[in-house]
Amino acid sequence: MKLLTHNLLTSHVRGVGPRGFPLRLQATEVRINPVEFNPDFVARMIPKVEWAALREAANTLQLGEVPTEPVEGYERDEAFLRKMHHVLLEVDVLEGTLQCPESGRLFPISRGIPNMLLNDDETES
Amino acid sequence: MSEVHCLRSVDNLFVVVQEFKDYQFKNTKEEVLKDFEDLAGKLPWSDPLKVWELNTNFKKKKTKRKKINQNSSKRKMIDNGQGDKLDENNVKKEFADDLIGSHILDYYENPAIKEEILTLVGEDLASCKDEADESSKEDTELRVLKFRVTCSRAGEKHCFTSNEAARDFGGAVQDYFKWKADMTNFDVEVLLNIHDNEVIVGIALTEESLHRRNITHFGPTTLRSTLAYGMLRLCAPQPTDIIVDPMCGTGAIPIEGATEWYNCYHIAGDNNPLAVKRAANNISSLLTKNQIKEGKQSWGLPIDAVQWDICNLPLRTGSVDIIVTDMPFGKRMGSKKRNWNLYPACLQEMSRVCRPGTGRAVLLTQDKKCFTKALSGMGQVWRKVHTVWVNIGGLHAAVYLLKRTPQAFIHPLENERATS
Repeated sequence: MKLLTHNLLTSHVRGVGPRGFPLRLQATEVRINPVEFNPDFVARMIPKVEWAALREAANTLQLGEVPTEPVEGYERDEAFLRKMHHVLLEVDVLEGTLQCPESGRLFPISRGIPNMLLNDDETES
Repeated sequence: MSEVHCLRSVDNLFVVVQEFKDYQFKNTKEEVLKDFEDLAGKLPWSDPLKVWELNTNFKKKKTKRKKINQNSSKRKMIDNGQGDKLDENNVKKEFADDLIGSHILDYYENPAIKEEILTLVGEDLASCKDEADESSKEDTELRVLKFRVTCSRAGEKHCFTSNEAARDFGGAVQDYFKWKADMTNFDVEVLLNIHDNEVIVGIALTEESLHRRNITHFGPTTLRSTLAYGMLRLCAPQPTDIIVDPMCGTGAIPIEGATEWYNCYHIAGDNNPLAVKRAANNISSLLTKNQIKEGKQSWGLPIDAVQWDICNLPLRTGSVDIIVTDMPFGKRMGSKKRNWNLYPACLQEMSRVCRPGTGRAVLLTQDKKCFTKALSGMGQVWRKVHTVWVNIGGLHAAVYLLKRTPQAFIHPLENERATS
């Protein structure tokens, strides 16, 4: 599971609503996959990303310092873009858990795939 | 030649030997088969065979370049003045390109394709080995070639089977050319395509139907990569679009997406653990293939797999730009009855995660009645823009292009409170 995916995932436990985001990440096995750097892709993706959640996940995985906000003029800052490229696309969580911040429910990540299925009594409808 | 080989929505490439728009089949099986036998000797073979030869040489040069690790996108046209003219006149492409027009697309099954599953990695390695066998046969001298005939037949009024036609036609071809018949190690694959009253005799230019190009691990209802490509094209992906297939099965659509639209981000999701595992395996195979092909360091792709429930997607509201999926038909997977509940729930949840205003969805289904009914109650969030009719293994299915309206998603409970 890449961090860009983590940024889109939220807990859907009944009653939790928007408070189910972001999921707390815990990783026991991580792999780094080099991905071709495309500065345009990263620059355009940054406004779409929930920054605080990304920063928190990067900190959890000890990926180094991520600024509290995208730096001014980040579109042309190659070092910054390369860093964010690495954080978003190159770090793959193979084993670990995602935790709903509201209900505490744990979702396992196994072989890079998070299992977000809920039991019947946990679902909304 | 090189450009034709790059076409992504084409299943097979072949050069037409002769096309019969309205073939008159005789009444008895014996007579029909005898006609096929006689046909072999009467067809204009020489030009198509020259095209075949060009194509074979072109492919050999391609694998040679792969070995030397050069940039394989710089493929040159074989320099043969006569060859260019032949290309224009004789190469016929079965195109699924312009899906914007509603016409029937026919994907009838080629029986030769229903063989054992080859891994794409295996194919690449094999073609590298072929290069070693290459002899200097660049002139047009016809040596003793090995061939086989593949017949694909669709239609209800034929009194013979595809195997019978292939066998008898093949026998005549063998007598005519003095070639050797070989089912597995052939140089020339002669195609006999029969669709109702239309008969086309061709010579294959591609080895394996391109529809299997990305998938190594098949599931019970794996979608053809060519169809997946067509569906993705229909939603016009923009760079950095988040593209999700919430019922991905073996992942055919996201994998095609990650290969062709690598400027987007793809997520494959399914509730079935077996399906997700297959999707992940297909992604791994793709990564491995990329490594071998490109010979470069980078072996990550913008694609991820998640196990989830379509009716309860663990995705942020309005975070997805494009949803592309193959919805359960209710024949091999699921059931018609279940669709009555499933379809509205799917459309509802998809409308939530899809970005208002710019988001869109491309959905394939055979259960058109159920889909239309489910969609009818969702005019505030989904607008149907286009429908394309498709024939999938004999089933008449539809691909719907929907646009997400600018209206923000309202939680049903809030909706009730507001209206009461």
